[in-house]
This record gives sequence, C-alpha cells and structure tokens, in this order.
Amino acid sequence: MKGNQFRFRILALLCIALLAVAGGYGVYSVSTYGSRWFSNVRNIRYQSARDTVIPGDIIDRNGIKLATTDTEGNRVYQSDKPSRCAVVHLLGDGEGYVANGVESFQARYLLGFETTLTERTEDLVAGEKRRGDHVVLTVDSRLCTEAARAFTNHAETYNKAGAVVVMNYKTGEVLALVSLPIFDPTEITDVVKNSPLHPFWNRALQSTMPPGSTFKIVTAAAALENMPDAETRVFTCTGATKPAGAKGVITDYGGEHHDSITLPKAFRLSCNNTFAQMALQMGDKNLRKTAENFGFNDNFLFQDMIVENSSYPTKNRTNFEIGWSGVGQSQVTATPMHMCLVAAAVANDGIMMEPRLIAGVQSPAGVVRYEFEPKVYRRAMKPETARVLQGYMRTVVEARDGTGTRAAIEGVPIAGKTGSAETSVDGRAVTHAWFVGYIDDDRYPYAVCVFVEEGGTGGKVAAPVAKDIFAYLLTNYTK
Amino acid sequence: MSRPSRNKPLRGRPDKRFCSVIMLFYFSAFLLISLKEKVHWQGIALSVVVPALIYIATMWLPRFFPADKLLLSIANFLCALGVLILYSTDMDAGTSRGLQQAIYYGIGIIAMLICILVVRYVKNWDVMIWAVTFLAVGLLVLPLAIGTEQNGATNWINIGGTSLQPSEVVKLALILVLSYFMSRRQALPWLLFGLFSLAVLMLQKDLGTALIYYFTALFMYYGWYGNVLMTGLGVVGGAGAAVAGYAMFAHVKKRVAIWRNPWAYPETSGYQIIQALMAIASGGLFGVGLGLGAPRVIPVYFTDCIFAVICEQFGILFGLLVLVMYVILILRGTSIALKARSGFHGLIAMGATVMIGIQTFVIIGGVLKLIPLTGVTMPFVSYGGTSLVSCMGLIGLMQGVASVNQDQLNYDYDISMLPQDLSGMPKADDFGGGNR
Repeated sequence: MKGNQFRFRILALLCIALLAVAGGYGVYSVSTYGSRWFSNVRNIRYQSARDTVIPGDIIDRNGIKLATTDTEGNRVYQSDKPSRCAVVHLLGDGEGYVANGVESFQARYLLGFETTLTERTEDLVAGEKRRGDHVVLTVDSRLCTEAARAFTNHAETYNKAGAVVVMNYKTGEVLALVSLPIFDPTEITDVVKNSPLHPFWNRALQSTMPPGSTFKIVTAAAALENMPDAETRVFTCTGATKPAGAKGVITDYGGEHHDSITLPKAFRLSCNNTFAQMALQMGDKNLRKTAENFGFNDNFLFQDMIVENSSYPTKNRTNFEIGWSGVGQSQVTATPMHMCLVAAAVANDGIMMEPRLIAGVQSPAGVVRYEFEPKVYRRAMKPETARVLQGYMRTVVEARDGTGTRAAIEGVPIAGKTGSAETSVDGRAVTHAWFVGYIDDDRYPYAVCVFVEEGGTGGKVAAPVAKDIFAYLLTNYTK
Repeated sequence: MSRPSRNKPLRGRPDKRFCSVIMLFYFSAFLLISLKEKVHWQGIALSVVVPALIYIATMWLPRFFPADKLLLSIANFLCALGVLILYSTDMDAGTSRGLQQAIYYGIGIIAMLICILVVRYVKNWDVMIWAVTFLAVGLLVLPLAIGTEQNGATNWINIGGTSLQPSEVVKLALILVLSYFMSRRQALPWLLFGLFSLAVLMLQKDLGTALIYYFTALFMYYGWYGNVLMTGLGVVGGAGAAVAGYAMFAHVKKRVAIWRNPWAYPETSGYQIIQALMAIASGGLFGVGLGLGAPRVIPVYFTDCIFAVICEQFGILFGLLVLVMYVILILRGTSIALKARSGFHGLIAMGATVMIGIQTFVIIGGVLKLIPLTGVTMPFVSYGGTSLVSCMGLIGLMQGVASVNQDQLNYDYDISMLPQDLSGMPKADDFGGGNR
C-alpha cells in the first residue's frame, strides 16, 4: 500500500495542478484581455447600462467637452461641426459603427462600472440616477480639427482616405488621432454608410498597410547595429537589383538609379536598391530581430487603445522577398499609429513610449480615479543608432535633394522619412503615401504620421499635410 | 473503559460553525433576491428549504454513520450555489430551473445516502458487481435505442416526460467496476467494460463524457498498478484518439476552431464562449452582484457556462474560491482514499475524487478558453438532475469509504482495549472485503 499511497498523492496533486492551471489561466487572460472583452461592442452589458446610468463626459486636454449628456439623457457632441467630425473615430459614435472608440473602450469608467459601493449607496439614498466618471483625454481637439482641415485642404488629399497621428514622443501622449474621411456623428446618412471609402473604419489604428520606404528607418537601424561599416559601405544602384536565385528585380520608385551610393545618401534619396542589398547582406534574421524590437510581430496590448498588430513576414523567405522587405514591401505591414511610434522612437533616442489616450479619470464628485503616467513600451534600438538616424531623418527634410523637403519649415529642425508603398487593391496597382517625422527640439517633442491611402508619393502628397501640422504645433504650443 | 462513540464526528466543533455560516449565507442570499422589487414567495421558501437541506445532509445524516463533514459541507455548498444561481437567473425569465434544481438537490442527497449504504453494508461484491456491470451496460446503450439528440450528442433518453442522461449515472458504476476488478487485478473485465463504455459514448458523440471516463480510468490504473510506461502509452493513446476524433468528427473540428479563435465567429459558433468571456470580464474582481448582470445572454448559461455566471455575479475572486472548494474536496477525497484499508475501498474513494477533479477541469478550462469547450456539467453546480445525482453519488461513495474507515479504526480501538490473551482475534485488515 506504500506505493499506492504515494501514487494516490501524485494523482491528487495532478488534479489540483490542473485546477490551478485553469484558475491561473483565467486570472491571466482576464487581467490581460478583460478590458477588451468588456468593451467589445457585442457585450450588451454596458450597452444596457446606458439606460440606468448617466454616462460621464469626455474632455480633451484643454478642458473642451467632446461628449456630454444632456438633461434628457442624450449624448451631445461639440456644437462646431468640423470639431465634432474630427474626433468622431476617436470617440466612436453612439450607434456602434466605429469600433473601439473611447465611448466603448472606456465604458467601464463612463458608465460607472468603477463606482465604489459607498458612492453607489450615496446615489441610492439621494434617489439620484447613477452618474458615470468623466474621462479626460491626452488629445487636443483643436489639433485634431486642424489635422482634418490640413488633410482636406490640399489638392492631392482632399478626397482621399487616410490617417493622421500626432503624439508626444517623450511621454507617449497622443495629441491627435484622425481617420479620414470623417463624418458627422449626429447625422449618419446612407451616403456615409455606403461610401466606398468606408468612413467608419478607424484607419489610424486598424489599417495595416505596407509602410513602404518609411520602414527604411528600421532597415537602417538594423544595418547600423549589425554591419560595422554600415555608414561607409558603398552600394551600387543600377536601378534594378536582382537577388541571387530570384526571378524578379527590385526597382526604384519611378525607375531612378543612383550609381555608387552610401547609406546616408540612400536614406535621403530613399534608394530601394541600396536597402534591398543591405537587407540581403545583413540577412533576414537580423532585419527581423530589429523589426521585432520596433514592435513588429508583437501582440499590441496597449491599455488605452486597440491597435492592429504589425507584421514582419516569417514564411516563404526567398531572397527576392527579403530584398523587398528591406524597403517595407512584401508582406511587411503596419498601422499609421505604429509608424508614428517608429518615428517617435528615433526622436526619443531609441525608447518607444506606449501610446496613451487617457490623461485622467474623475468621478462626478471630483475624486481622481486614475491619472496618466508615462510608460515605456520597449527599447527599439541603441541610443547611438537613434542619434545617427536622427541625422539621416533631418537630411531627408532639410537637404535640398531630400525626399521630404515639402515638410520643411524655415529655421525649424524637422526630421522625417517619406514612403510610397506600392501594392495592389482589387488587381489595381496603387501607391499609398506616407510621411513620418518629428520636430527635433526638446521644447516641441512631437512626432507626426500622415498616411494617405492611394495617395501617390509620400514626399509630394503626405509631407505637405505634415508641414501644416508642424506649423500649427509651433505657433500654438509655444513654450 | 468506554469505547469512543461511533457517532463522534471526525472533526470537532469547527464543522458545525462552518455549516452554520454556509446556511446563513444561503438564507440571506435567497432572501435578498426574493425581496428585490417585489416579494417572491418561492424564493422565500427556498431561503428556508435550501439551508434545511444543507443541515440535513451535513449535520443530521452523520448522526447515523461517521462521515467527513468538511467534504459534506463543501459538496452541499456547491449544490446550493447551483440552486441560488439558477434561481437568480430565473427571476424575470419565467423559467423555474432554480426550483427544479432544489428538488434535484434533494434527490441528490437521497442518491448520496444510497451510495453510502451500498458501500457500507454490501459485503458480497462478487455477485453484486456483475449486477452493477450489466445494469450499467444496459443503461449506456439505452440512448442508442430510444435516445434523443441534444446539442450534437445523442446521450439523452425520455421517460415519462423527464429526460435522463444515463452516462451520468453510469459514472458511479464505472468507479465501482474499475475498483472491484482492479483491486483483484483482473484486467480483462475492467478493460472490456471501459472500452465498451468509451465506444458507446463515441457512438453517441458524447466526447466530453468520454474524455472524463477515459482519464478517470487511466488515473485509477496509474494509482493502483503504478505502471508508468503503460500509463504513458495511455496518455499517448488518448492524444491519438483525440487527433483521430478531430479528423473524423466535423463537430469536433468546429469546436477546436472555435477554441482557437472564437472572435472569428462572433455571431454564430463562437457566440457562446465570447459571451461567457465577456460575462467574466464584466464581473471584474468582485462581481456585479447577485441577480444582476446579463447572464441569460450566454447560450446554455445554466449548464456549460454556469461558471461564467458565477464569475459575473460574484466576481473572479469568488470564482477562484469556488476552484479552491474543489481543491479541498480533492484533498478530503484523497485523505479518505489513503486511510482505506482495502484496495477496493481506496480505489473507490480515489476514483470518485479524480473523476470530480477531471470533470471540473474540463468544464472550467473550457469556459475560460484554456481548452475547447465541451458540453459537460460543472460538478454539483450545473443545472440537471442526473448530473447532480451522479455527483452526489460520488460523494456518497467517498463517504461510504470514510464510514468504513472509521468503523475499522473503532474496531482497532476495541481490540487494543481487550485483555492481551484475547488478541488473537481477526485483524482489521480482514474487514470490508477485498484482498490484494
């Protein structure tokens, strides 16, 4: 019986271990994904709470009320139409067309699920309807309006879809998050519903697109960290690089060629041949590692927003594909939000801050329930690497032959990278325009990403929009 | 020299206090939801009936034979929890599952009593075991002949308007048959019986129950024979069967696909698990409160997903405490098995224990999306008469063994008190049947 007793104990331990695993997994998944499960549009629980709770206000960083509840219980947005349209994706509309806006993702606060028992009792005793908490955003509503205005003002972008993201690269506070086209939350017409541009889609967070040449920031970082002579190595650009064993060739945008060229110049001119050769020389593994350091292939679990995951491909890695990956094509995809983080990481000496939307939460009685504190998301690269890249990105905008000169403002240190991502939509070859950049000045620590769907070349289409935003920041954020 | 009272509880006063707390908990809980908005007389009746049932099963029954009161308290707590949750979700739905469950709970107590009596007083198992075997075989095949299909599995029979799930009741027979033949090291009968049950369950597409049968048998095999190699082969074989089942059955494939990513089918097949997860997430740490929330949007919330309802209403912390209850139950069951003097009794107690443990894992792991969700019940808590009868029966088996253990201890005590020259009496090891 001795052996049996031992084995009976083992069996008991095994059963207990199984239950412990189940419990542990439950705690892990609820603490990791619970807020996402809760705020899902299919959760009728918080939807039905709207009947019994007066939702709290959503307030921007300057105290402007973006959404409030009137005495009859209706949700009221800003009276100025351009202003309320510019933040419609950020907040989400009342009918649930836009996914994961603040209205639903912060429902826990807005609909009073975080109200304490004593507060609930007080409301009950007073015979009042329960009130939800007020959520203060890091977002500047006026900047959002300006971003939407800039996007719709330029001839190249006025009728296009796209996204604009502005954030503080030192703290991670998101100042503007605009998806185009915008629409009016108070009149959701059939025209809006049936628009071929899918206005309900929050492109800033949900649209995963090839980042094109803006990904060269990552490739350059990988080269600087893996190739000791990266800055001086000479590449030959004939306009068409044919990787070993590949059938196709890697070409430059518009059929250009640059002959003998080094990394600084190739970055400035956005030479595909150089970056493809660089990717092949350092190898897929090194490039992938750096991309993953920048957050590619990570499961983004940011606390304030749901961002689609970016990907660096891991399957079918032929030389041809690796070459194209070096220039941000071939299954490399990212959202405008993530590309803004990439630029922000360079600006912040390699440290990528977690993007944040919520500055604070206050109870109706004024009790502070939550307050913003900056959080590092990850270290994307070494500080030295970031500083070299900062120089490169400055030349893209400031040098006469850079691709991003249209974002330049006289006398202001602006850095950036353009991108023209070629892809096909329903069999049509299209080019998405990108610009990521930042103000290289500690007094204005702002990074910007402009994405124009089917816009054309980044330098021509996206950079001017970014310039308008930089100009607005410089005049309105005086320090 | 007085012999210790036969009716002396295994543990002292704390059991009484524990039971009182549980009774008070349910009394106030039922009263609370009965007085919400308007007076519900049924709920007020339950606030008396449920604590009364708890008292009968934990405090009154042990007067007649020694029992492990902690084990009884926990099992009754869980049964009453089921009644409470079901009644609270009935309130404005027009269903009467809570009341029915209270009746099933009463029947469950009777089933437990019968099992205690069987283990305690049946001495001639050599005949009895064959009766159990043939009864079990008959019950198992019954649904194949006159069964009805529910949720993709043909494992129910209808008798006079009430539906029964024979595979639940046969669980008790499985434990008895396996214990009897294993303890006598007669491999063929228990192997045949086990394989036969598995085959029938597969035919009925009741894969969740088949899983529980299989692993219970495998665990008992390991516990008794201790053959690690064969046990390992058994695990591999089980995994192979799972893969084969995946390839063969479309509904298994579907379940696995749902498990891997339920969010891909949010409005159709993934709806249940998504709603369960949302319910758990909505409950937070302390829950939304008894009778509140929206448990009824979860499909089959009353059986498969009742753990999600518990988590929504009482919070994930309480959900974890419920898991701890099962852990204590396993510990008590194991302790009974370890004290058993015969292999037969040890195996009965251990088998019943691992069966409850495995079933709890299968359903709670399923609701939490750790493993694919199968339609098995949460022991003691889920709605269903046969399920409750089988779980209380398992407790009865454990308690029966516990009472025999205590009798044997008492016998030893008597022997030791006798004058030395009379101690050539039969030893306690010869008690209770079973040789090894």
